[in-house]
Amino acid sequence: MKKLLMMFTLFLMAGALALAQTVQISGTVTSSEDGLPLPGVAVTVKGTTIGVSTNASGAYVISVPANATTLSFQFIGYKPQDVTIAGQTTINVQMVQDLFAVDEVVVVAYGVQQKRDVAGAISSVKGDAVKLMPVQSFDQTLQGKAAGVMITLPNGVLNNPPVIRVRGFNSISSSSFPLVVVDGVPVFSGNFSANSSAANALADIAPSDIQSMEILKDASATAIYGSRAANGVILITTRRGAIGPKARVTYDGFFGYTQPYNLFEVMNADQYIEHKNLARTNLDPTLAPFTLVNDANGNPINTKWADYIYQTGFQHSHAITISGSTAATSYFLSVGYSDQEGMIQKNTYARKNARLNLEHKFNKYITFGGNFGLTNGLNSAPNTGSLPGQGFNTAGAGRLAFVLPPNIAPYLNDGNYNTSGSAIGNMGQPMGNLGYYNPVPIFDLNRFTSETDRLLATLTATIQPVKGLFIKTVYGIDNMMVETQTYQTGLTGDSFAANGFVGHTFNRPTRWTWTNTINYDFTVMEKLNLGVLAGVEEQYTKSESWSGSKTNATDPFFKVYQGSWVTAGMGGGGLSEDYFLSYFGRFNANLDRKYYFEVSVRRDAFSGLSIGNEWGTFGGASLMWNISREGFIANSALGENVTDMRLKASYGRVGNISGIGSYESLFLYGSGVYGAAPTWSFVQAGNPDLRWEASDKYDVGFSFGLLNDRIQVDLNWYYNNVNDLILNLPQAPSKGVPGNSVPVNIGAMYNTGVELSLTTYNVTSPNFTWTTNFNFSTLKNEVTALAAPAVTELVGVTSGLETTNRTLVGHPIGMIYGVETRGVDPATGRRIFINAAGKEVLYGHELTVPTVASRWFYKDGSGLAPAVSVASDGKPLGSTIPKVYGGLDNNFTFFDFDATIGLTYAFGHYVYNGSKAGLRDQRWWNNSVEVYETAWKQPGDITNIPKPVFNDNLSNGSAIIMSENVEKGDYVKLRTLALGYTIKNLPAAVGIERVRIYTQLFNAWVFTKYTGSDPEVSSNGNSNLAPGIDRNTVPQARTYSFGVNISF
Amino acid sequence: MKNILKGSLILLMTFLLGGCSKENLNPVPQTLLGEAQAFDTKDRVVGQVNGMYASVKSGAFLGGRFYVYLDIRAENFFPKSTNLVTNYATWNHNVLSTTNEVQGLWNSIYASINAINIFLEGLNANWTSGKLTTIITETEYNQYLSEALTLRAISYFSLLQLYAQPYNKNAGASPGVPLRLQAEKTGANNDLARSTVAEVYTQILEDLNDAEPGAINAYSTALLNTTRIHKNTIIAFKTRVYINMNNFPAVKTEAAKIVPAAAPFVAPSGHPHQLSSSFAAIWNSPYTLPESIFSMPFTETNTAGTQNSKAHYNHPSSSESYYLNRTAQAFTALNDADARKVQFQTGVVNSVTEYFVGKWRSFTPQIDYAPVIRYAEVLLNYAEALVRDGGTVTQQAVDLLNAVRTRSFPAGAYVLGDFADAAAFRAAIMLERNIEFLGEGFRNMDLARNMMALPGKGTVPAIQTTDPNYIWPIPENEMIFNKLMIQN
Repeated sequence: MKKLLMMFTLFLMAGALALAQTVQISGTVTSSEDGLPLPGVAVTVKGTTIGVSTNASGAYVISVPANATTLSFQFIGYKPQDVTIAGQTTINVQMVQDLFAVDEVVVVAYGVQQKRDVAGAISSVKGDAVKLMPVQSFDQTLQGKAAGVMITLPNGVLNNPPVIRVRGFNSISSSSFPLVVVDGVPVFSGNFSANSSAANALADIAPSDIQSMEILKDASATAIYGSRAANGVILITTRRGAIGPKARVTYDGFFGYTQPYNLFEVMNADQYIEHKNLARTNLDPTLAPFTLVNDANGNPINTKWADYIYQTGFQHSHAITISGSTAATSYFLSVGYSDQEGMIQKNTYARKNARLNLEHKFNKYITFGGNFGLTNGLNSAPNTGSLPGQGFNTAGAGRLAFVLPPNIAPYLNDGNYNTSGSAIGNMGQPMGNLGYYNPVPIFDLNRFTSETDRLLATLTATIQPVKGLFIKTVYGIDNMMVETQTYQTGLTGDSFAANGFVGHTFNRPTRWTWTNTINYDFTVMEKLNLGVLAGVEEQYTKSESWSGSKTNATDPFFKVYQGSWVTAGMGGGGLSEDYFLSYFGRFNANLDRKYYFEVSVRRDAFSGLSIGNEWGTFGGASLMWNISREGFIANSALGENVTDMRLKASYGRVGNISGIGSYESLFLYGSGVYGAAPTWSFVQAGNPDLRWEASDKYDVGFSFGLLNDRIQVDLNWYYNNVNDLILNLPQAPSKGVPGNSVPVNIGAMYNTGVELSLTTYNVTSPNFTWTTNFNFSTLKNEVTALAAPAVTELVGVTSGLETTNRTLVGHPIGMIYGVETRGVDPATGRRIFINAAGKEVLYGHELTVPTVASRWFYKDGSGLAPAVSVASDGKPLGSTIPKVYGGLDNNFTFFDFDATIGLTYAFGHYVYNGSKAGLRDQRWWNNSVEVYETAWKQPGDITNIPKPVFNDNLSNGSAIIMSENVEKGDYVKLRTLALGYTIKNLPAAVGIERVRIYTQLFNAWVFTKYTGSDPEVSSNGNSNLAPGIDRNTVPQARTYSFGVNISF
Repeated sequence: MKNILKGSLILLMTFLLGGCSKENLNPVPQTLLGEAQAFDTKDRVVGQVNGMYASVKSGAFLGGRFYVYLDIRAENFFPKSTNLVTNYATWNHNVLSTTNEVQGLWNSIYASINAINIFLEGLNANWTSGKLTTIITETEYNQYLSEALTLRAISYFSLLQLYAQPYNKNAGASPGVPLRLQAEKTGANNDLARSTVAEVYTQILEDLNDAEPGAINAYSTALLNTTRIHKNTIIAFKTRVYINMNNFPAVKTEAAKIVPAAAPFVAPSGHPHQLSSSFAAIWNSPYTLPESIFSMPFTETNTAGTQNSKAHYNHPSSSESYYLNRTAQAFTALNDADARKVQFQTGVVNSVTEYFVGKWRSFTPQIDYAPVIRYAEVLLNYAEALVRDGGTVTQQAVDLLNAVRTRSFPAGAYVLGDFADAAAFRAAIMLERNIEFLGEGFRNMDLARNMMALPGKGTVPAIQTTDPNYIWPIPENEMIFNKLMIQN
């Protein structure tokens, strides 16, 4: 014992002596490319926590222990260097740029990690890639950029939120949309408008403010978000102050033109008359024919309705950013203005935004930070019929463009609008009442706007009492105010009966999030790097909205709410709140950066769940092996050719609460009126046993580099088993349960696939570079259980009126479901339907003798057949989920020119072309030119268009879902084509460091066999049960833009 | 160093305090009432009673479309528009189990039935437990009970009109509809087989007979007497139920309670229902004449909803309304002086002047009440029952028929000698009903209970009683989720 004590004391003294002996080393760090000093480079003594940063001149002074051997130099964008001290007191270093970006920093949940240390499946997209795109919001640009992430722009309506799915459909009744976190705060996403002027909440985050976007895909990356992680997480980091002695000022501006492409070619007036009269004769030769109508000048009317609906829109956008840093403070200030007209008349979006991100090092222990983003967005759109739920709106512009007859005009010959009550007038044609509206007055007179004011702010304080230990508190708020205003004229259209309508809705969703974390990273024995994170998070969300409406204007002069109206509507609104409380922790360890282990656990409570079920525990773990760092590999032939080989595996259990409202588990009564008497009615059958929706996620990945990291490959296999789904279990309607459904935890579904991300630096010579980014993802989705025996299938309905999809056990979710058809019978011109028994049945609309049942008869002549219907003869007609999808980006630089070609693609899915059914409808509706040219006329004609019989809306598919209208949706889309030229080395007097001018084509072209306007479509938005439907939507927009980036 | 320690301690404190808002985990909604408070006050109980009426008043059911379906299936109407959303498929006899009318009406009626069953369960549970005895009186308890049972009977009767074969086809042996008689609030009990038509009628009559004794005699205001159920409402509806079963003696017994043996025909007890001396007055504000036994009320802030109201389907200004078939009997048999023809409105359709039912004249706003039961029907039911039960035409029957006829067409009075036999009288009754109740949803019911074909109109052929589409199919969602359901 005494000996030990003596030894110990000696040790201590030696240690103290050693400590007392420090050596001072100084030097300068410059960039090898241009010799300029690099400030902010981290200089550390390897194996210790001793470190300094270079100052503004790139110089540093560091006191190292006498026994220190190596100094490490690290700086973002440059390859790290280790320099042996070997007695030197002046060490100057030239850092080499990391062209292949292998040592980037990746933002992960509640922190950052070096790219090579990341064991989870995370895709990174730089903010620069998206800031110049002519879109309204960053999520419209992510398609094809990250493996496993499928993004669909539903149509060309401005600010219509895209459909985002990370690794497949992860829910049935709840949402599959990922969690979006901005600077550590989960933010509101989705469409917040209450009318047809779509307002994507994510558009409030100006693309020029975004530094990077990380998409977390597997359990190990997302598990720390616990109950909200099942659909993946998108982390947005806004820009920080630039490092360097001089403040950086930039201006980015562009202007552009946008047009719709692939509009339908419909019949002109002559073709229309000829075809419809043929159809009328085929039904009943005594019917009065359609004729040409003369306009005021005596010329026959030939209206191209699309000209009154679509336009070439003009857009321009400007952003100025100022960023810099002093010794203690870094700041980023940006101001932006964007004014966009869409491809549809009267569709506009204007955004004004400002942001200030500040970080201040109070002293060497304490840092404060504040990010403030303020946005005002104004959306205006007519009723496009293209947002979810609008597919069958009588006022829907998408359908009006192709359905209205060309032989009538928007104006009568006396100059007034051509209307008949609420509908368009038929100008004397024997069409009956057309029912559809005249788009010209409703575009001219109606007004739909929504205005968003958003404050996104985060306040941070970090204390680092000892090196490596961070105590951090983050308080974030996301406050929105959305005011939606609607005015509809009483002259014609939807509000004709009410003699005008005006309505305002004011919605104020607010959220605060408070996160406190302790993070300690430390190294033991030089090789074992450990990190511990523990945290508490609270989130409170409140949603308050109220609305008022008025009808029956006293004079058409009044077009605003504040005017004089006879009848005040009942008004309404909503009020809900929910609260989240979580405890979480993460532990990661790596041994010499060879063997990695990470585990995270989160315990969440959510107020929307029933009492006793509020808490849930989630977590994930991962293992990674950096094979290349193994001695035996590093020295082998394999190690020379293949770098950075990493094998990883992860598993986790995460949850989804996006489908649970604030009061879902309660039994509730709502109020109303009966005439003038107040009422109480049972409105919600809650479920007191409602729990989280949860899924198990497995991931195995392998990444490596070839040719010295010129080729970087990242392969992942994943399997997501959503096995505790919340299903809104449909009930038999005869039970009369409100909503005909009850939420229950039951059912299971899985998604599995393979992701490949390939980055190749094909050419890297000084004057010519060519880089390729390719990603490829496969997806197989299957529903493995619903709620048998009670529920074995779920239906998906488009806009509440057309049952288009069915979800069955053993099949992918949301399959198109209908009857099979096999073209048209050449002998009779009838559409051939296949009934459940497999027999061919023909349909003749004009055959009503002796009874209506005579319309259906067997093709083989064996007599009348029972009517074919989806209910009795339907079957799955195709999956709407792509089997393979991804993107291919090629970036070129040639001297001072740069070019980008970006492609996205998806294969293996089907789309239900409901618009095509409308284009072939034989009521008075206009049809495509294909119908005019190829309709069956006499026996022997081989065609896909049956004999035209007036009022036949069945053979074309308006009244029945049929396989004729189910088409393959395979496509390759040329998403971006950009060409730019940079002017550098300007005279100093100008004050401009560089200018880049560029031109860009967005949504240039789509290569596909799909006959609709674009196979990238979704009439039902983010719906899980009814995806892949094209019903009366407007097409996509192609945008040409010209822009300039100036760095001062 | 001190400052650091202080700072760290402060942060650590906030850290720990962070988790201290646990009561926020159970927020209480501020706009919706929890189950436990729904029977706390009398106003809330009355609110629930009115809630049942609001439920049957839904636009798909008694607020509008239901009557339209029953009228346009027969011969009297042509549509202005081929829009499938405004019942074109019903007019065309092209409905499938997935058609919106078929699914929508079923959903709406059964939602009302469940709302009624939930109210009954809550009312009875709270009454037996004693909670309600301090809040409402026993008379009121019986009254609310009677209103609930009657509304349920009306709902089941309405279901049978479209989704089942007529009772008179085979004394009700055909499949009817599932009889839901208990409150459904959970995911259980999806499977329930169809009861026969006879069984459903038995339940309907049981509900009505249970309701009658406890029903209120009459309310204090005309509005309540028209919009809420009272004793005479139940009796009047029973005459309709019995005549649909061809049970003429029962019709006579019931009708005699509210129709005296001789003119003037005024209900002797309860609310004094009687014919309005002017036909037009029934259709004007305030819509609460004693003739209107039961109507659905509307106000500017409580209308039937988009494309649901009677005005939407009958007013010439509506682009989707139905105009009259000028070759059908209901039009050709009308004398120009008949008040019912005078009531018609006109509008131009395809350059031709057409006639529209003029009972719902207010287009902006659409606040005309929708009648469910009128005294005129009771008189005609009585007249028909008298003749069909006795086999001969009596003066009493002729007087009853004349009361309704001469109210609108004084010169058209019948005399006993006009009728050669009972069959001629029945034809006259059918004609009078056809004319009197145009647009009120009677035609299909009258044809079906007499096992007559639905006449054709224009290019739409007649539908025989043996045709499969004589009645509607069972909705697709019921077929999928109720495993014991059989399609029609």
